[in-house]
Amino acid sequence: LRLRILSFAAPRRAPPARVHDRGQDERSSRVAGAMEGAPADELIPAGLALLGIEADEVDLAVIAAVHGFLWPPILELLALDTSEVEPERCPDLSQAPR
Amino acid sequence: VSALDLGLRAQAAAIAAGDVDAAELLEASLARIEQRNPTLNAVVETFPERSGEMLESAPDGPLRGVPIVIKDEWPLPWRAQRFGAAELMAPTAPGESGPYRALRDAGAVIVGVGNMHELGAGSTGNVSVYGPCHNPWDTERCPGGSSSGPAASAAARLVAGAVGADGVGSVRFPAAYCGLTGLKPTFGRSTMEGHHAAPVTTTIVSGPLCADAGDCRLLGSVLFGEELAAGDTTGLRIGIVRDAVSEDVTPEVREACGTAIEALRAETGGEVREVSLPDLELSALATILIVNGEVLGVTTAERLNHLHPELSPIARGTLKYRVLTPAAAVAKAGQVRTLMRRRLAALFDEVDVLAWPTVPAPAPPLTEPLVELPSGTLTADQANVRGAGLANLTGTPAISVPVGLGEERLPIALQLQAAWGRDELLLDAAEALERANGRRWVESRPPLAEAEPTEA
Repeated sequence: LRLRILSFAAPRRAPPARVHDRGQDERSSRVAGAMEGAPADELIPAGLALLGIEADEVDLAVIAAVHGFLWPPILELLALDTSEVEPERCPDLSQAPR
Repeated sequence: VSALDLGLRAQAAAIAAGDVDAAELLEASLARIEQRNPTLNAVVETFPERSGEMLESAPDGPLRGVPIVIKDEWPLPWRAQRFGAAELMAPTAPGESGPYRALRDAGAVIVGVGNMHELGAGSTGNVSVYGPCHNPWDTERCPGGSSSGPAASAAARLVAGAVGADGVGSVRFPAAYCGLTGLKPTFGRSTMEGHHAAPVTTTIVSGPLCADAGDCRLLGSVLFGEELAAGDTTGLRIGIVRDAVSEDVTPEVREACGTAIEALRAETGGEVREVSLPDLELSALATILIVNGEVLGVTTAERLNHLHPELSPIARGTLKYRVLTPAAAVAKAGQVRTLMRRRLAALFDEVDVLAWPTVPAPAPPLTEPLVELPSGTLTADQANVRGAGLANLTGTPAISVPVGLGEERLPIALQLQAAWGRDELLLDAAEALERANGRRWVESRPPLAEAEPTEA
């Protein structure tokens, strides 16, 4: 698997302060730090590389943070037994289910 | 006081009666934007000539001459929406969106475009290509998102009404943080024409943000294209759920919402019933997965590898993360939607409305949007979506109503949800709640928006 970590040239790549809240990068790094050692550290870059998607260290820090929030409930969702749920065909969301 | 400090209905009535000159009201609104907006960043663009043209050609509709702010999510004939972002991941162009046409045909005057959370992807409003929007109640606090600018504009009385959009709570969160009433309509009832996601979305709706329910009824009627008639709430059956949405909240939110529910019960001569609604947390996740999945159709590796450099780091990372979402999880999310729709349908045979706090804590700081809850520290986004996603997932209507001010003088809000098509009932219930508390909270306004003793 080929992973392209783009060089993070701060003057060129760093967005202007107005596009994100102060301390955003620092917090992302903090959360990413907490994720160190998790399997996601290897799987996420590999998954992105497999899809041909480039990710720099800031992208990966954000992704690690989002993954940390979403993955546990995703696993819970995947474990939910929905075999008894009868599909609603072409649901009309403006109405109660038929 | 200035006519700008009147509510939406009162402004419309005063213009219709000839007591207020609409041109002067427009001038006053533009002047107030100039005066107050630098500390708020709520309005990202004004266009006095276009506004003037709208006024000159305004038909004799229900909002004739009334200034309105519209979210940066809707194209206007002279301006493409930017969705609060440097890049949209969807084609955009100026045009006549549904909300624009509805407002124009009602005689309203669009006075400015409201800021919004970047790509609509946040409940806080602190991230935007235009810079963060500030909460009028405390400018160091989040105004809520993603309809941050419309809410801050209405709360700061730059206008008396604003149009937002709600895909995962995006009308209700800023309404709650800014002390406004905000309606998330039943899916499909309010106009969505011209929205870049309209062909694919199953969650997003346009919705009004105003000081009170009566004003939301008026602006909502315009967006719905039909009159939202007032009805009777006698004997209202209020459902409450013992779950994180009502339990894992700050003590002041819990107390204010509990007081409001009891006041609503007493006002309507109704009853409060404890009901069960399992898997609420999963329904929030399902909403996120469905919303994220609906925009994946336009995503390619090529596009993700050449994102606009001014897109925020959070947007860049989350856009890339979306493509890694397991297909099985998206399929499960659809099943959870079916499950929750059936459960809600059964529940709304037992109760008329469901009630729980709109958000579990008042507006967090702009610089660190975290909330301290009994369960621990969460990001505001994590905490907020728990109680809001259900209405978007299932298509049901919901309304956020101000019910108090916390220790730090920040608004607290109660959310009411009803069955499909019962948007009018929510407005009725909100008005009953206003009567019950003597309109104390809908008439509260932030210090910077205290009424001015001037003529409009």
